[in-house]
Amino acid sequence: MSNLLPLIQNETLKIWKKKRFFVILFILAILIPIFTYAQMRMAENNKDKFTDWRSQLIQQIADYQNALTSDRIPEEWKQYRRIMVQQLTYYLENDVDPSAPNAVTFTRGFMNNAVTLFIPLLVLAIGSDLISGERSSGTIKMLLTRPVRRWKILLSKLVALIFYISLTIISTLILCYAISGVFFGYGGWKLPVFTGFIINGAEVDTSGVHAVPHWLYILMQAGLAWFSAVIVGLLAMMVSVLVRSTAASIVTMMATIIAGTILSNMAAAWDSAKYIFSVNLQLTSYLEGAPPPIEGMTMLFSVGVLAVWGLIALIISFGVFTKQDILN
Amino acid sequence: MNKRSRGGAILWRTIASAAVLASLLLLFGFAYAVSDILRPPALVLGTEPPLAGQQPQLGAKEELKIVAIGDSLTKGTGDATGEGYVRRVVAGLSQKLGNRVKLVNNVAINGLRTDQLIDKLQQDAGMQYALKQADLILFTIGGNDLSKLAQTALRTDSGTADFGAEEIGNQLSDGLGRLDQVFQLVNRANPDARVVYVGLYNPFYPIPELRSGSLQVQKWNDKAYELSFSYPNMKLVPIFDLFEDEAGTYLASDRFHPNSEGYAHIAERIVQMLH
Repeated sequence: MSNLLPLIQNETLKIWKKKRFFVILFILAILIPIFTYAQMRMAENNKDKFTDWRSQLIQQIADYQNALTSDRIPEEWKQYRRIMVQQLTYYLENDVDPSAPNAVTFTRGFMNNAVTLFIPLLVLAIGSDLISGERSSGTIKMLLTRPVRRWKILLSKLVALIFYISLTIISTLILCYAISGVFFGYGGWKLPVFTGFIINGAEVDTSGVHAVPHWLYILMQAGLAWFSAVIVGLLAMMVSVLVRSTAASIVTMMATIIAGTILSNMAAAWDSAKYIFSVNLQLTSYLEGAPPPIEGMTMLFSVGVLAVWGLIALIISFGVFTKQDILN
Repeated sequence: MNKRSRGGAILWRTIASAAVLASLLLLFGFAYAVSDILRPPALVLGTEPPLAGQQPQLGAKEELKIVAIGDSLTKGTGDATGEGYVRRVVAGLSQKLGNRVKLVNNVAINGLRTDQLIDKLQQDAGMQYALKQADLILFTIGGNDLSKLAQTALRTDSGTADFGAEEIGNQLSDGLGRLDQVFQLVNRANPDARVVYVGLYNPFYPIPELRSGSLQVQKWNDKAYELSFSYPNMKLVPIFDLFEDEAGTYLASDRFHPNSEGYAHIAERIVQMLH
């Protein structure tokens, strides 16, 4: 145990010196203003059209209901709209604006949309060359000829990876809040947000619904996003152990994650797709009560599936890494 | 060398402590979220006082607020421009009256029947809220009730004609009973607003076998006028004559809803009678 800490230190600094984390911050600093601007335009547009948020909500509900009467819309989409109608009605009846424009709402929306694709992408930027990078630069030999057990080396890399995942998510939150606050104002921390909608088919069970202050909601959301990101990190590490080149490792991971996003939009009827990890990444949608990609999925189910994937990834990475022959 | 390693140590401490802190925070958030979803706290909303539900005041009418409710006619179905009669009324009125006219909400829903509208008027908080804000309420309803009647008529045409007529008569008076209820509910939701009920027309006039449906439509309009007469703020705007045309000039391609020209004429009539 005593020599683990220096190893972690070494790995953490190695990643820092590769400047990947700065790239991530840079990407965030470029993208968030763009999304903020888009949101602001939308808010301005709505302000012109509606007298207040209630009218906007009422119109949104009516639009969803009209979509329900159309025969051209597939049944799964109708189900989504039925659920949305019930949720929005709940907000309306309790006189709470679900999308009051402020920096916290923006942060919430951004995190919710980022969790399936954007955050995993950032994680891959760090995690994909964890081992394969050492291999392609040849430093893996130096690393493994030191009198340290191999599992300790991999573990130290894993801890460093988790460090950076946490930092990435916290930085995303901070940058989101700081940048969007310039336009929307920095308030909204105490605004109530409803959570606990339970979805049974097309019906929403509101018996468990309770209001949560916005800050706590953000924290819960970030926690769930973090869990998803850590699982993606574990899988990225596994692929990085198995595959020799960093490029191949990034492409493999990206392909599976994108496939998952596409599947969750297209494969509502293919039941077993729910065991694929990338279909389960959007844990945050359970918090806001959005319908799951495949009927019958629950938060516990998704967390369980992700945990099993993570565990398998861990076993494979450690199993292979400790036994692997290092050749050129 | 020594200096560099010290710099490294400081960097390491900063990163590590920030990262550990962040990890713990996020782990807490994750655990809280999972437990919150699995075991929602017993304390539910009802115990808290509802949030300040400030009702915006009607205010001086420097701005005329319009709310539209009802069926596909109000929705504007069939209008290729998407304007419907509602948006045209908004434009026409602002031109005629010279003040600001704003469409607060158009909550019309395709295929709505009187019974469904009654449900909504009684239970839908959103609709109540929208109606309360309105200075002018535009609405259509009953078309879908009557077209259901027309289908019954078609089916019973070949069979016993007497039964068909009686059945139709019953359904018509049922529908009118519900219309009465709709009028009451709209009036109760906002007694101060001007209300415009757009009368029905016979979309099947171009079909010779169904032309006589116009007589039923007229019975509906006649009774609707009678019902609306008791409310001083409520007016019925007749439009049936626009569609009594063999070629169906003002009908959309679905041969049921008005086309954009038809909607333009409906809007014209409404604008004409409002001062």
